[in-house]
Amino acid sequence: MTPSPRSLTGWTHEAQLAVLARSDPANLKAFADPLIETLPEITVVENRTGLVMLPMRDTAQGTHFHLGEVLMSEARITANDHEGYGMRRGRDLEAAMAMAVVDLAVSLGRAGDDCLAFLEAEARAQADADHETLCRVEATRVDMETF
Amino acid sequence: MAYVATRGGERAIEQSQRLFCAEMGDITPDRIAEIRAAMPYLIDRIMGEASLYDEDLAALALAQTGGELYEAVLLLRAWRTTQPRISVAEPVTQDALFTHRRISAAFKDIPGGQVLGPTLDYAHRILATTVLDGQVSTPDPVTPAKMASPPRQPSVSAWQAENGLLSPATSDHLTGNDIPDVTREPLLFPAKRAHTLQSLARAETGGVLALGYAAQRGYGQAHPTVNELRLAEAEIVVTHPRGTRFSAGRVKVSQAEVVSKKGSQLELGFSATMGWNEVKVIAAATLDLNSKGAPKGSATEEEFFLYHTEGVESSGFCIHFKLPHYVTFQSSLDAMRDAKARKAAPEKSPEPAE
Repeated sequence: MTPSPRSLTGWTHEAQLAVLARSDPANLKAFADPLIETLPEITVVENRTGLVMLPMRDTAQGTHFHLGEVLMSEARITANDHEGYGMRRGRDLEAAMAMAVVDLAVSLGRAGDDCLAFLEAEARAQADADHETLCRVEATRVDMETF
Repeated sequence: MAYVATRGGERAIEQSQRLFCAEMGDITPDRIAEIRAAMPYLIDRIMGEASLYDEDLAALALAQTGGELYEAVLLLRAWRTTQPRISVAEPVTQDALFTHRRISAAFKDIPGGQVLGPTLDYAHRILATTVLDGQVSTPDPVTPAKMASPPRQPSVSAWQAENGLLSPATSDHLTGNDIPDVTREPLLFPAKRAHTLQSLARAETGGVLALGYAAQRGYGQAHPTVNELRLAEAEIVVTHPRGTRFSAGRVKVSQAEVVSKKGSQLELGFSATMGWNEVKVIAAATLDLNSKGAPKGSATEEEFFLYHTEGVESSGFCIHFKLPHYVTFQSSLDAMRDAKARKAAPEKSPEPAE
């Protein structure tokens, strides 16, 4: 029987993965590297680059069509019947592996406080970057008036 | 059938490639980083036409080809074939886009309002020649607003459909590998709409502009007005082995709807591409709007514009004409000389049997 994966308090698995996928690669690698020693023996199932096709829905007729492919890096690892997965944009296999290590650590319930702190810091940085972008976008808002 | 052999061809070819590359010098990681940082719109154009999104690879292709765009796109399309397809992401929808620019030329008061975003639309077109005299041109910084723009904006066409101006678009509910794909199936006519929109998404910008412009100038059947133009980022939503769907990052996308009056309702043309390239999507949406019932062989006929805007095929066909055609051309000359000789020869009286 596959053991149930653990999770971080206040975090859905979806939110955790989304933050890891967008996190700064240098920060992610630096955080994941020492985590490896705290984990049971890891088996690497996959660590590769590949393409993800990105479809879109047309607003004129509702047709789904392909916009094109995005280069991604993927890592899939296991330990003690738990699975860790990483997928990120670009050709950085180490960053994808680092994401998988953090995902595995959370699933195993290891270094929970550290993972939580890392995710919260990265989430805050990403939210700040988005907020700054959107404030700059808002500066270009126009109000039309008919004379 | 005859062939012409070229003596010394291998050496000449090798040297000609060296000559091409010599002008560009070393290709370094710093050069790739600089190209990527300094020319985001060129990078976007290349990625859209190559149908492969990765800024570093696009910058490398530009560096390696010295900016020869057709060669750069060909390099990327070729490299793409070395990679496995890991999965198909969840379909992107308009109202989920992280929006940087959103304008409408049809309605001034669209729900959510209009943000110009990054654009040179209203810029004075003045070349900064002082840079050539040694000065640094530093752009004035943006003064951010106190409030943030909403990251997601509602769909203008959905609002129009609610108000009876448009027929509502009904989703075909196709996902994953069920969505038709021109990279795995032949493009046949009449084309599936999914093939048409995918082909336009990866089409060559100049070709799409030329044919779209022809339609806009009056060689089409419908005059376009931009209903909604967006420059945005789309989430790449993939599935974890445990079944969790999550965003594995964002990519830049452009999307345009153009609208025209048809009877008592409006009719939409649509296009989208990877990267920010608004000229391409406006022109492509114009072709989509005009394609229904277009005369055979016209610029707005689907088969005509899809075949002629595929950049790798069209540039490849064009440049193949410079390759040796000595035997076929000699054959044409022989036929021409025979015809001349027959014309110059005195007419013989016909044989009784003729």
